[in-house]
Amino acid sequence: MYSIEFKTKNKGKAGQFYMLSVPGVGEAPISVASGSGRRLVFTIRSIGTVTARMKGSKSVGLRGPYGTYWPWKDNDEIVAVAGGIGVPPIRSLIEEMEDSKMTERLEVLYGARSPSDIVYKNQFKEWKKDLDIHITVDKGDSEWKGSVGFVPSLLKDSHFSKNAALFVIGPPLMMMNTVKEALKLGYKDDRIFLSLERRMECGIGVCGHCNVGQYYACESGPIFNYSTVKGEQELFL
Amino acid sequence: MKEVFAAISKDFETFGTIEKEGEVIFDKVNDFEHISEKRSRYAPKEFLIKRNENVLLLEEQTRRAVFGVKSCDLKGFYQMDKQILGKDPFYTERREKTLFVNFVCNEPCDGGFCTSFGGPILDQYDLQVLRDGKDYHIMVSDKFKEYFNDYREEGDSFFSRFSESFNSKMDVLPVDGLEGRMKWNSGLWKEFASRCISCGACNFSCPTCYCFDLYDDENERKREWDSCILSGFTSSSAGNVRKDLDERLRQRFYHKYVYFKKSKGEYLCTGCNRCVEDCPVGIDIKEVITHDYSIE
Amino acid sequence: MSVLTVCPYCGTGCQIIVNDSDTGERVTGYSKSPVNSGKLCIKGYSGLSYNFSKQRLKYPQIKRNGEFVRVTWEEAFGEVSTKLLGIIKRYGPDAVAFQSSAKCTNEENYLMQKIARLVGTNNIDHCARSCHSPTALGLITTLGAGAATGSIRSLEDSKTYFVIGSNTTEQHPIIGTEIVKERKKGKNLVVADPRKTQLAELATLHLQFNPGTDVALLNSIMYSILEEQLQDENFIESRTQGYTDFKTEVEKYAPEVTEGITGIDPQDIREAARLIASERPTAILYAMGITQHIHGTENVMSVSNLALLTGNIGVRGSGIFPLRGQNNVQGSSDMGDLSEWYPGYVPVDSPRVKKFEELWQKTLPKTKGLALSEMFDAAADGRIKAIYVMGENPLVTETAISDVEKGIENLELFVVQDIFMTLTAGAADVVLPAATSLEKEGTFTNTERRIQKVNKVFDPPGEAKPDWWILNEIGKRVAGIRGYVSPRMIFEEIGNAIPSYSGASYDNIYPTGKQWPINSDEPDGTEILHTKSFPIGRGKFIPVSYGPPAESVDEKYDLIMTTGRNYFHYHSGTMSRRTDILNRESPGPYAEISPEDAKRLGVRNSQYITIESRHGSIKTQARITNRVPAGIIFVPFHFDESRVNRLVGKKLDPLSKIPEFKVVAVRVLT
Repeated sequence: MYSIEFKTKNKGKAGQFYMLSVPGVGEAPISVASGSGRRLVFTIRSIGTVTARMKGSKSVGLRGPYGTYWPWKDNDEIVAVAGGIGVPPIRSLIEEMEDSKMTERLEVLYGARSPSDIVYKNQFKEWKKDLDIHITVDKGDSEWKGSVGFVPSLLKDSHFSKNAALFVIGPPLMMMNTVKEALKLGYKDDRIFLSLERRMECGIGVCGHCNVGQYYACESGPIFNYSTVKGEQELFL
Repeated sequence: MKEVFAAISKDFETFGTIEKEGEVIFDKVNDFEHISEKRSRYAPKEFLIKRNENVLLLEEQTRRAVFGVKSCDLKGFYQMDKQILGKDPFYTERREKTLFVNFVCNEPCDGGFCTSFGGPILDQYDLQVLRDGKDYHIMVSDKFKEYFNDYREEGDSFFSRFSESFNSKMDVLPVDGLEGRMKWNSGLWKEFASRCISCGACNFSCPTCYCFDLYDDENERKREWDSCILSGFTSSSAGNVRKDLDERLRQRFYHKYVYFKKSKGEYLCTGCNRCVEDCPVGIDIKEVITHDYSIE
Repeated sequence: MSVLTVCPYCGTGCQIIVNDSDTGERVTGYSKSPVNSGKLCIKGYSGLSYNFSKQRLKYPQIKRNGEFVRVTWEEAFGEVSTKLLGIIKRYGPDAVAFQSSAKCTNEENYLMQKIARLVGTNNIDHCARSCHSPTALGLITTLGAGAATGSIRSLEDSKTYFVIGSNTTEQHPIIGTEIVKERKKGKNLVVADPRKTQLAELATLHLQFNPGTDVALLNSIMYSILEEQLQDENFIESRTQGYTDFKTEVEKYAPEVTEGITGIDPQDIREAARLIASERPTAILYAMGITQHIHGTENVMSVSNLALLTGNIGVRGSGIFPLRGQNNVQGSSDMGDLSEWYPGYVPVDSPRVKKFEELWQKTLPKTKGLALSEMFDAAADGRIKAIYVMGENPLVTETAISDVEKGIENLELFVVQDIFMTLTAGAADVVLPAATSLEKEGTFTNTERRIQKVNKVFDPPGEAKPDWWILNEIGKRVAGIRGYVSPRMIFEEIGNAIPSYSGASYDNIYPTGKQWPINSDEPDGTEILHTKSFPIGRGKFIPVSYGPPAESVDEKYDLIMTTGRNYFHYHSGTMSRRTDILNRESPGPYAEISPEDAKRLGVRNSQYITIESRHGSIKTQARITNRVPAGIIFVPFHFDESRVNRLVGKKLDPLSKIPEFKVVAVRVLT
């Protein structure tokens, strides 16, 4: 994982993405990791050809922002549930809510595979000062004193009501289990928002790669209301 | 028609269907006589979506008129308009500058099933031409009325009578409600997959398939026609929603008959039968429509 | 404008209509084609973007102080011809070797071998050596013609298909789909392949036999045919010779005996025998699975024995179909770009070479030249001083690559003529930029002997030129050829040189091609060969005894690796890896490994592994799949970043000199 920061301001909102490119190599959709209006930051895992070559590239192309965003302004109680490397859009959310002094409306639940897999370790320490954050790992190590277990299991301890909005992002299996757990606990399906990852190429709903059923993830997503897409068979990969 | 052609060719670069080595293809034409009325070998999708082009530069496009397009092929553009017009700048620029003259088929073709989707007389068109012996009956959209100031206007009864008689000659397939009938776990998809060689012919021949891939080639970013039958179509660093061929074949049919209908209110298919004709292993999309899913 | 031409990928030779830039660069299958009836595979539809790649070679370059420098064509020709002539003068003509290409046209191949022979050497060879040299030799020996006996279209009349060593739906997809369609109609399909291919999945019977045991398998099938008296006595009696000796050999191969070798249940052998011999006509299709062995030629002769024994030859729907790899490997072989044959398969030591001496007005070399598989070794030990390569990439495709590298280093002149800066071109002293087959005119001969017209759609980029034009200029300077003004002029000469091409002209092979022999007796060409007699009179049974492959497993090297192509790429990937869709579908090197072996070795899917043989090692990614059985791994050879040919040994088939790409003992390290 590495972060790159642009001099330009983020014109997008938390949850949206930009298309980043390395000239001669290609483009990749990357979610914004910084708050709206702050300097544009992306946190990237080298996993494909483009993301591997982006680190250290002299110039990086940028277009966007694209897609839908977390509807945090419409909700008084928000539980953000993030897993693994899916956390950058939640960082963006935290920054936005900080800037609006609204962090008391937000609770963050984050799960990583192991303590060393935790992204933004230092920032989490900072945020913890004035934000309700719970971190769990699938498997601890000798120094780990926090909770151990999968992130959906943290949901039951949320201090918000069951009317809270859930912002869910992470690996497919984690999202699926979070939704299951949430529905079991009595959260409303139309107050669950999922960030879905698909192969996105154009970002503007014309290249056809990223469909989730009848919707294109770049256009109607990446943030979907669960009640809209819950009937789709290919929801969680 | 000759005069109309002459008038149009003053304002547009003219293309049309011509015969070459027994195949009807689209090429530049300078006079009306050379235009073939036969059904073209392929849907002329490349007039609006080039097979391969640099997307970092959108040059102003020349105005083009394309004669001899069949209604089923033209209808594809009106369908894809609903998803990409106004969003895809290349498509939009060309769409606005291209005039299509569709020749209505006088007789049904082998295998075609256009009447299942409204038949060969279209509701939307630029110039819709129906030949009756030596006479041409033409439906003109408002945009191109200027070319017909000197001609007599007739009612549309000729077209509706033709439509009725044409439709009676072709079986109408039970497409209504298909979006509710198709089954996710139908055995059809696996049976198709056992034959399919992932050639992409169904996508490339389809007048309604608009998907493309983007890639970098040194200092250019290019787009190229893509096929949802290929595994790389959905493969990303997060995984692949459609790892298996049967899932990808199902996606193609679901896009045509379920997703597009739900999102745009119309099936993404014109009944042209081109995917059937070009499929090397005989996969027939009509089977997707007529299959009895209730017994599965 | 649109142009009717031929797909540049496999030997099927599908006819394509390609639109120029004005009409959208679209590719469509030619619906009137007797080859593909308008159908194409993904390489036909999406495989042509390499033509427009920004990486195309655009001007001639000479390496000076380790760096390529752009030069004019004149300078390049001067450099090449001066050095070539100097080397010939100092060391003699056999110090020079030429490698032509089955990707190039008949005209270009004809021209290159003519130049080689005019300068005085038979050191002319090409990639047919590594694919179908056993077919040429084997079938010329047994039938008198080294080519497919029927047409693609005639396959519709078969009742049974016997596919051995061919992954047809991936490698010759449009031929594969014929079988798929006919199989779905209920026809019989017997597939003999160590891998579970798509055809194997659809087959009536899949004989998943051990790699390299083809002769044992085929002999036991023939044993069972004799055992149940299913042979075609009439055909054997009236059309063949050598039956008795053959029979004596085959009688040693009871299925119960061969089971230990091939791993195939005797019941399955007998079932295969019944289908092939009784449900006739039977078409036998094979590819590299038969030829790329140290027993390649014997394998081919075994296949031929089976066809003769069952009378499956000379009748529509029957026959032997060696599926040609490259688009023009039949043609390039016909043109005599092989070190033992002049055009039309005239042996170099035959008195018939006189005909070429008269045609070309020169005394010609009459001893066998070096095979492709020998040229770089000869360079390494100093016998060869200059190699001129047209459109091949030996640094990826040859075995024992480190020896190829040594050979190249030792050369005084290494010329590569290509469309891209391949790994091999990068090692050259002079690089000449060539046009692709969509940028020039000529002919290709496909796997069913159909001579097809290739036509120009696009202009070559920059200063790139058609190969025939480049060779013509070189030939004028080093070989005293008078010069040709067009490919048509070369083709006319080919008609004079090769009797089976004598009736073909640019006018009569367009648009749908003609199958050779085309001559005064058969002015329309010949769809089915050997209908009444063989060119050698009677078909020859050749007794073939089983010998094991060059390599076998032991405690250390416990897996058998077999190499080949995948659906999306072609050979060293020069074209396909510079084509967006194809490259996306198969972006990098991998090895197919069975779930059993993966579990045993503790290998996860997509994990990087090292494959090591007795000859070298490579790093690649594991792909766990049921397509390969336990004990076997499959590795494609397309990827220059992980060259599998580092692992393949140098043992050759003594008859055809083809290396054994299909059986390599390896181990997997994690």
